[in-house]
Amino acid sequence: MSQIKIVRIHNELLGTYGDQGNAEVLAFRAKFHGITANIVDVTYNDDLPTNGDIYLLGGAEDAAQLLSLEALQRGDNLNILHMAIERGAVILAVCAGFQIIGNRFVANGQEVDGLGLLDVISVPGDKRFVGDIKTTSSILGFELTGFENHMGHTILGPTAQAFGKVITGHGNGDSKYDGAVNGNIFGTYMHGPILARNPEFADLLLTRATGRKYAQITDPLALKYATWRRKVI
Amino acid sequence: MRLKIAVLIAKFAALLSKRILRRSGETISGRVLLALYPRAIAELSKSKKIICVSGTNGKTSTTKALVSIISSISKLGTVATSPSGSNLERGVAAALMQKSDFAVLEVDELHLSRVIEEAKPKVVLLLNLTRDQLHRMHEVKRVADRWAKSASAAPGTLFVGDVDDPFVAVALNSAAQSKRISFGGRKHQDGAVCPSCGKYLKWVRNNYKCPCGLTNSNPDEIFEAGSAAFRNATMANVVGKYLGAKLIAVDEKSLERSVDQIHAGVKVNIRLTKNPASWTEALKSVAGDNAVLIVNAREVDGIDTSWLWDISFSGLSGKRVVVCGERALDIAYRLHVEGIEAEITSSFKDAISKFESGASVQVLAAYTAFHELMNS
Repeated sequence: MSQIKIVRIHNELLGTYGDQGNAEVLAFRAKFHGITANIVDVTYNDDLPTNGDIYLLGGAEDAAQLLSLEALQRGDNLNILHMAIERGAVILAVCAGFQIIGNRFVANGQEVDGLGLLDVISVPGDKRFVGDIKTTSSILGFELTGFENHMGHTILGPTAQAFGKVITGHGNGDSKYDGAVNGNIFGTYMHGPILARNPEFADLLLTRATGRKYAQITDPLALKYATWRRKVI
Repeated sequence: MRLKIAVLIAKFAALLSKRILRRSGETISGRVLLALYPRAIAELSKSKKIICVSGTNGKTSTTKALVSIISSISKLGTVATSPSGSNLERGVAAALMQKSDFAVLEVDELHLSRVIEEAKPKVVLLLNLTRDQLHRMHEVKRVADRWAKSASAAPGTLFVGDVDDPFVAVALNSAAQSKRISFGGRKHQDGAVCPSCGKYLKWVRNNYKCPCGLTNSNPDEIFEAGSAAFRNATMANVVGKYLGAKLIAVDEKSLERSVDQIHAGVKVNIRLTKNPASWTEALKSVAGDNAVLIVNAREVDGIDTSWLWDISFSGLSGKRVVVCGERALDIAYRLHVEGIEAEITSSFKDAISKFESGASVQVLAAYTAFHELMNS
């Protein structure tokens, strides 16, 4: 596969916390592997493309989160996501996006059904978690760093696995785990953006999306940046 | 304790701070005053006409412009203000200790409610509201909600603002008295959701109109489009005119928060860049081939740097770009992914040393870096 399609879902709504950079890092890393990445921005009124390889959702404020959910439940969108998952596409959802793809969450005091793509439910706590976060994940051979800014407490159901084990920070609200994963569906509370801080994670997502194994990338600046953040947090 | 004695003690504390610690003494006097006399802002405001200026970007320069506009109508010839841009309650309290008939106060977005409640200003000027320091503000909407709430609770205050910004428009709609200014409409990075009703906000080119009624299409005054500096100067003049002052010529350069300096023979123009909106504005005007970018992440800079990814730096492509500051690596990697290779240096001095004497360099500086350079 020499081309991939990266679908940035509702960046106008889910772009408040810088997560749009995840798409750019994926496209940038893809180039090293000789893959041409096409970033498609989907707005509130658009239908999701049926042939995306990686679907991205970012963090948002409550009203924007509810609008994004409403748009994804409209028409054929949810079905498109289910079919994408079946053919092995990757989903990376951050913070509000992570809550949206779960079973249930609360926004603006309203409890709503999420998309049900990850077996998690999220409820707001009484304290906001703001600060650097570091985790380690059994899926990856390195530590992940990022920044969290949320009030969510996320509880995992039986078919979701925790994505990361928290070293510093609060993650899912219990200060033990961050995010959830099921196959190629990843949810996390980490901004940064997470793929800018952890470019090797972008490589893993590219491998999962294309089903190919790539040679390791040599990008000294990316490595220096990631290593430095892992050291200081 | 009586107010007069509290003021005397606060002034004495400022004097000590200036003499012994060689500081400005401004915040210490405000802190001492509020500790001794918690209602000082309310009491000191009674004898003055108060004008508050708030917004994400442009507070300090607009406040300065308003001070010069209003000094022409001040009977005492002085307008109380905070020269250093200290904009929390302590800075406001310190400014109000000055003898004057007018006070122009720059107020932090999150602290505006309390200052309005106590100082009962005659006019509040709201410039703009965009994402900034989200580790502290948490959400843009949260700040907007506070503004709207305090506007509705201040029937005696005139709220002036730029309704091309939907967050400002909501606050103005909540006020009993308002003057809605438009510059012909402008896209807003955080404007996808109606801040009034929470629905998807409908934009047609640069203008928005929500079924709930929120719109920029019915302003009280409309001006031509211009830079952020132009808009702020224009609104300062609207406030001045309302108070009976003569208008000033709009000097965009002086309103840009940009300063010319010479470092090691290199001519630098330094601009304050602290969030996506101010970076985007500043990047439009980078002339020449050389740029130094300074990124820090201390409390007032915002301790998270994720927002660097909300900015397109493509305008720097082809220029020589040198980065420094505590988060030089964050900006260097962000630029790298956009195809711009910056030279990473460990200090501003090192960054400047990369250029030959006589060269002209545009410096874009984080809040803390900007203030350090101003005081150097």
